Amino acid sequence: MVKKQVRRRKRRKSKQALIGYLFLSPVFLFYSIFLVFPISFSLYLSFHRWNMLTPPLKARYVAVKHFTYLLVQDETFLIVLKNTLFYALGTVFIGMILALIVALAFSRTKYSSIWRFVYFAPVVTPPVAIGMIWGYLYRPTDGLINTVLRWFHLPGQQWLSSPAQALPSIMITGIWAGVGFTMLIFIAGLKGIPEMYYDAARIDGANFWQGFWHITLPLLKPTILFVLVTGMIGAWQVFDLVFMMSSGGIDTGVVPFESVGVVALHMYQTAFRYMRMGRASAMAFILFLVVLAFTLIELRVLHRGGVESY
Amino acid sequence: MNKKIKWSLIGTLLFSLVFGGIAIAQTKLVFPVHWTDYQLEGMYDEEENLVEKGLKQYVEEYMRLNPDIEIEIQSVAFEQYLQKILVAHMSGMSPDIFQIYALWGVSLVDSGVLDVPPADVIEDVRANYTPSAVIGTTIDGQIWGFPTEVDNYALVYNKELLGEAGFTEPPATWAELVEMAPKLTKYDAEGNITQYGFAFLSGWESAVVHPFLSLLWSNGGEFLSEDYKECLVNSEEGIGALEAELELFRKGGTDAAGSVWEFPNGTVAMMIMAPWYESSLKVGLQEKYEDVVGVAPIPILKEKVNAQYTWFACVGSGSKHKEEAWDFLRWFCSEVQPATNTTRQGDLMAGNVGALPPRKIDMENQETLGDLYTQTFIEELEYARSEPNIFQGAEIKIILMNEIVKTWNAQKTAKQALDDAVKQINEILAEFY
Repeated sequence: MVKKQVRRRKRRKSKQALIGYLFLSPVFLFYSIFLVFPISFSLYLSFHRWNMLTPPLKARYVAVKHFTYLLVQDETFLIVLKNTLFYALGTVFIGMILALIVALAFSRTKYSSIWRFVYFAPVVTPPVAIGMIWGYLYRPTDGLINTVLRWFHLPGQQWLSSPAQALPSIMITGIWAGVGFTMLIFIAGLKGIPEMYYDAARIDGANFWQGFWHITLPLLKPTILFVLVTGMIGAWQVFDLVFMMSSGGIDTGVVPFESVGVVALHMYQTAFRYMRMGRASAMAFILFLVVLAFTLIELRVLHRGGVESY
Repeated sequence: MNKKIKWSLIGTLLFSLVFGGIAIAQTKLVFPVHWTDYQLEGMYDEEENLVEKGLKQYVEEYMRLNPDIEIEIQSVAFEQYLQKILVAHMSGMSPDIFQIYALWGVSLVDSGVLDVPPADVIEDVRANYTPSAVIGTTIDGQIWGFPTEVDNYALVYNKELLGEAGFTEPPATWAELVEMAPKLTKYDAEGNITQYGFAFLSGWESAVVHPFLSLLWSNGGEFLSEDYKECLVNSEEGIGALEAELELFRKGGTDAAGSVWEFPNGTVAMMIMAPWYESSLKVGLQEKYEDVVGVAPIPILKEKVNAQYTWFACVGSGSKHKEEAWDFLRWFCSEVQPATNTTRQGDLMAGNVGALPPRKIDMENQETLGDLYTQTFIEELEYARSEPNIFQGAEIKIILMNEIVKTWNAQKTAKQALDDAVKQINEILAEFY
């Protein structure tokens, strides 16, 4: 009798589990088609030589040749990896600091909703449009930025036409475009810090900076971690801004590719201009491993902190 | 059922059957092109009158004559055209008709992407097109389509700016160009260039490499060995050709920020340009066009040579309507119009796109080819040399472009840049030849 009841209970649980999986199956199917299959196919290609014009199953197997070529022989790949690291560190850290300053300022100003709109507007503007507009702003001869500099009798710069200034110019645009989103995250994080900590600090005689260093920053750690991780993942994959603002988009003069190229752009060029899809796929996996390494380091360093820890 | 509703339903059903039937019966040809909007839509004057037909008008004419054919023109940016072909081919939705750059043809032919033309098309091309255009369309000894444009290079200059600086003639030699360009360059109080004596075409590999090849060949150098196994640009002649370009930078006649697209604004005095820029100049300069624009042969180093490249129209091997596609191309590229003794494709190229139509009858009879812009390009075709159709042509040219641009930005000397280019290019050639 007991055994029958146990069997009935097991059958009921299996039936419930089956119904659960049936409900989940559309999602599984979606992810299989749009995530698992493309990643698996890309991994397959990274060990083959394929130009997209022949059937992929007839692609020539080359083992790890693409990986060794990229990491040992391809100087351009190592340079664009360095460029992308520079871009990621610059835009994320500077953007984060600026966004925190703005978020703190909004907590003390009137009409903060208007300012929030002004700062968030670039976030909802398509990157292609941003790239085009900033490309015109940066024009050395008649761009708005150099025109304003000349009003103040300051020398105009080459901006996107200078190998030394091209990537920092694009970084400035990237920071401007992203600071609004980060600012919103920080505003939410700041609202999550109980006011009583600041009240207690004030009673103990702490000033604004002491409050900031000893209360705000430690309790904002989870928010900072979120911003760092998501910001770095996005920055490592930058493509559209660089494409639009370098020779791939507006003709603002010309700089060598190594001065402004990033990994995603080199990947695109390798796949679709050089017709080397296998090598481009290998680049994608190297980029994935780099981003994963950075994410794990960030998680390790910043995993403790926040309101719940205190 | 209510009578009104019943008749409405019957009417809707009949309408769907008729037009759905027409749609099903129509053969649809997809034709991506890389041209600008007025090259597709036509050129209009201020009163919105059509002044010059675009591709759209010709396609509409063909569809009126052949109601069972629908041709869909897809406008694709030049930089994305090859990607479009690759992705479409990979996805099994290959367009029917292509208009491709001959350099891409080697890989496309090797992978079976292009349809072998019918015998009459091959004979027609062999008999009725200029020899250099036939060479451009020939890959592995086989002609693959109708040559649609041949492009070479010439010196385009601003007559007004040269006149203001006291020059009555454009430079004939590179040494003269290097001497003139700094005198045509103006600066503002902060030392920024406000008027360029010379601007280099840039932004994509052909823009940078083709003028360099013109100088290389003019200087007696070679790009590749005859068997395509070795790159030879770092010879003494090649280094000399690149040094000639760098002289312009050293003497203050140009810098890397110079942009040829500023020519219509009157801030560029001279540039090396291709024939397809004509329509943009006409649109940009409007009534000032004839007063401003002058065209002359490329200033030479030693010999008279200019680089040339070819585009051709062909049919995809994946097309389900190959016969209909070739029929359209015969009508467009090969059929001679009795009134003008020209082809429609020749009219479009010469009148609108501004490129050189490579069919002999168009070269002889197109009135617009004798205009102030195109005539010099036609004359210089006699000295034009076609770029080689090689595997990984785009990758090789991008490598060469990157190295040349590094010298423009004073990051490498001419020798360092060309040696580095040769090293990378030879690795690629070793893969395929």
